[in-house]
Amino acid sequence: MKNNLHFRQSHIISIKLILFLVISISFLLIDKNLELSNKIRNNSSYLIKPIYSTAEAPLKIFNKLSIYIDSMQDLIKKNKILEKKVFIQSGIIQKIPLLKEENKRLRKLLNSSESMADSKIIIAELIKVNLSPFSNKIVIDKGEKNNLSLGQTVIDSLGLIGQVSEVNKDFSIVTLITDPGHALLAVNTRTEKRVMVSGTGDNRYLKAEYVSLNEDVIEGDILITSGLDNIFPEGYLIGVISKINKKINKDFMEVDVRPSSSLSTNQEVMILW
Amino acid sequence: MVIFNKIHLTAITLLFFGTILNILPFSEALVSKTPPILLLILIYLSLAFPNQINLTYAFISGLIMDILMITPLGYNALCYTITIYLILLYYPQIRLQSNWNKMFSLLIILMPYFFISTVVNSMLNIEYNILDVCISVFISILIWPGLFGMLRFIRQKYTS
Repeated sequence: MKNNLHFRQSHIISIKLILFLVISISFLLIDKNLELSNKIRNNSSYLIKPIYSTAEAPLKIFNKLSIYIDSMQDLIKKNKILEKKVFIQSGIIQKIPLLKEENKRLRKLLNSSESMADSKIIIAELIKVNLSPFSNKIVIDKGEKNNLSLGQTVIDSLGLIGQVSEVNKDFSIVTLITDPGHALLAVNTRTEKRVMVSGTGDNRYLKAEYVSLNEDVIEGDILITSGLDNIFPEGYLIGVISKINKKINKDFMEVDVRPSSSLSTNQEVMILW
Repeated sequence: MVIFNKIHLTAITLLFFGTILNILPFSEALVSKTPPILLLILIYLSLAFPNQINLTYAFISGLIMDILMITPLGYNALCYTITIYLILLYYPQIRLQSNWNKMFSLLIILMPYFFISTVVNSMLNIEYNILDVCISVFISILIWPGLFGMLRFIRQKYTS
């Protein structure tokens, strides 16, 4: 009787195993581009947001505690540094109206429209949760409630971060420019030539693709968004060419680009309209 | 019946905490080396209650992790289901082992998990670092005795 029971139990487990394996593999095949899971996330965002918030809570408490623990002197030091930064940046900002006017004048001369019109910006905080280490995605605390839409550009104070790839009610998911499935059209500021820049899966570098062996590219060249891909507005900093590898037996150069934005240490990001 | 409910209630609570621990934010350097805590808790629970906590729990926990960690649906579900199946095959032997032997058994049981995740990563063109995977296995084995002791304490307190 006991043996029979054991046999029945193992029989059920085998059936369950086959069933779950079939379902898992079917899901994997259907959800390769995360479309199905996006739908589920969207419909259950009211359940997911509290889980994310709970996971993030210890870090938030730790950050708040460290602020309290910071000594007065440290704060004075930090304040002085920040004051200096603000002073320098306000000096730089003084030039902006002049540069705007100059830009307008030059555009008029070229008969082109104003592409760098004042765009609306909102600041979003990162929900710091441990996503799949290889996903190259981040979660931000703004969603449908803040009128976010798919494809919006996300930047930080140093450069381009990525684009909004999934919008839920209370939070959104941003695909970083380092995602292996992500590519955008950049412009080399020195030569004004267009370059295709794609992600590598590694936060530390991007790759400039299809750069022919005789093209004028040097280390230190700055790449900015071209605005030609109809996703990212023109003129935002992508990164700096950090390494060039020419191989004679290959048609194109291997060009590494170091992203200018601080992709891994950000606390806040800006979303552009 | 009361014990039956207690087991499920304790398991669900532990798995909830495991889920939170799995998505706790870590620094960039550590993020790809963190052990799969939820899976380790599932392994313990299926060792302790193989008739109650088995493949259904593993599959559902995997699906929840897929949704939370923004991985393709079925990725963690597949890995968790196979790992817990191995536990269900060998739990009578593993239960009798000493702590050191249990660590070694865990190494063998986690191997297919990481092997499957590596295969799925390659199939879906997801970038991964094999060294990080090895470090993650190593950390899982290191924390296992402590986690095992803690989970056993909770089980004895809340399910008996």
